Amino acid sequence: MKKLNSDFICRALFLLFLIAISLVVILPYIWMLSNSFKSTKETLMDAAHIFPKAPTLNGYKRVLFESPFFMWLGNSMMVTITNTLAILFTSSLIGYVFSRYEFWNKKLLFTMMLSTMMVPAQATIIPTFILINAVGLFNSPWALIIPSVFSVFGIYLCKEFIDEIPKELLESAGIDGAGDWQIFFKIVLPQIRPAIGALGIFTFLEHWNDYLRPLIYLNSSEKMTLPLAISFFSTQHSTDLSATMAVSALIMIPVTIVFLLFQRQFVKGISMTGMK
Amino acid sequence: MKSKKFTMLILIPMIVHMLIFMIIPIFSGGLISFMDYNPLREENGFVGLEHYTAMLGDKVYLKAFANTLVFVSVTVVLNIVLSLIIATLISQLQSNKTRSFFRAIIFLPCVAPLVASSVVFRRSIFPTKSGLLNMIIQFFGGDAVNWIGDANFLMISVILFTLWADIGYNTILFTAGMDGIPQDLYHAGSIDGAGRWRKFVSITLPLLGRTFSFVSVMTLISHFQMFAQFNVIAYMGGPQNSGIVLTSYIYKVAFQNKNLSYSSAIAMSLFVLILIITLIQQKINKIDWEY
Repeated sequence: MKKLNSDFICRALFLLFLIAISLVVILPYIWMLSNSFKSTKETLMDAAHIFPKAPTLNGYKRVLFESPFFMWLGNSMMVTITNTLAILFTSSLIGYVFSRYEFWNKKLLFTMMLSTMMVPAQATIIPTFILINAVGLFNSPWALIIPSVFSVFGIYLCKEFIDEIPKELLESAGIDGAGDWQIFFKIVLPQIRPAIGALGIFTFLEHWNDYLRPLIYLNSSEKMTLPLAISFFSTQHSTDLSATMAVSALIMIPVTIVFLLFQRQFVKGISMTGMK
Repeated sequence: MKSKKFTMLILIPMIVHMLIFMIIPIFSGGLISFMDYNPLREENGFVGLEHYTAMLGDKVYLKAFANTLVFVSVTVVLNIVLSLIIATLISQLQSNKTRSFFRAIIFLPCVAPLVASSVVFRRSIFPTKSGLLNMIIQFFGGDAVNWIGDANFLMISVILFTLWADIGYNTILFTAGMDGIPQDLYHAGSIDGAGRWRKFVSITLPLLGRTFSFVSVMTLISHFQMFAQFNVIAYMGGPQNSGIVLTSYIYKVAFQNKNLSYSSAIAMSLFVLILIITLIQQKINKIDWEY
């Protein structure tokens, strides 16, 4: 009986601790939303309450109607979707080639490719910036797309999954006269759907949230993607806290909702790709 | 083989792309760091090791270097310890639903753009007078802290923010690792009379080895490269450059001072630093983790 009791107390303490941690994690979100509905004056003079005393939508108005928010959203969508689709296509295709074809110096090429994963972005960004400038892509969305249509991690992940496909499945298709492309689209792609899903989620997130490269490659406000736009907006409106919190909320809340909807796939994706 | 054309068609674009956007930039980055490079000039001469010797006498660089080491070591250790604790507590819960509920909450900040949450923290959480953090501290009777304006506190603020923003990722990896440990081992432990703590130390920790080594390498590398929060919370290095790190100094030298070659030299030093640490890590982790 005593053993059971201590077990119960132990578990209750754990739960309490987890609830406390969750509160710490959630509080900044609540505070951001709360401040976005307060006037800047209210926040600065007397903010110690969660529900605004005089709720206002002025912050949101300034973001949505007085700044090119929808243009930024469009830019972000365009860059992110193009990148994600390109990476999914190239990763699965190259992963397939590395997994199922033999060619000259395959091992060496694969090792070389993997070792580039260790190179920090900062080590290549200056020469790439010079190159982008030289070919006239500075301040163009293509500067954010062309350098990143291949993903080493994506190739690696797809190869690992394609390695698992039974040999007979591919061989029998080959005997039936299917060509390389047919085998790839009809057999390989459907077999690695979980990997494609996880890779898709993380590639999308990575490019949607990217800040460093837009900061370096873009300079006019109508070309900006959302993460760059928010830092630009918050310096432009440094005295307008209400609008700054509104723009933050408009960026953070949609990804949060998407995450909550696809939560299970996210968690599975992390443990799958992280541990593979 | 009949598929030679197929292989070539796919590999050649990839290799060309890798050369243009990875291999050549690495080497030319190294090359530029030995030159006095200005893209507007026709001829750019070599200056040898000049930038590297200049680095050793550059107080801001040394500060950025030291700050990077402090930031990375403190944040990574705290991150791993905290996420290990949280993951353990979550794995002790009995219902699957509550487990995934807490996992989701802890992971929330990881999906938000780092720069957006940095803006929220800088403008709404850390301000001395109207910030949430000081309000909470004062509610419990503490004194308000100047989180951003005080050189002694800026780095602490960035570390607190980074922990908030990044802990969910490792928590999920650790819980996944714990789920992979065979339950029989715990049953065997219970039969032998081991308590919770004993089981954690003698079963969970050692068997988490593979996850642990993976997590520590990835967390180290990613923290060396963190930039967004430094460019927002520690904007321009903060008071007395107390919040400057190598990544933000590289950015500042290259794009604000327009000194591409000096900044390439700094970038090379960061590259080498990451390389050395990765190699050491790999040496340490070359233990057989199979079970």
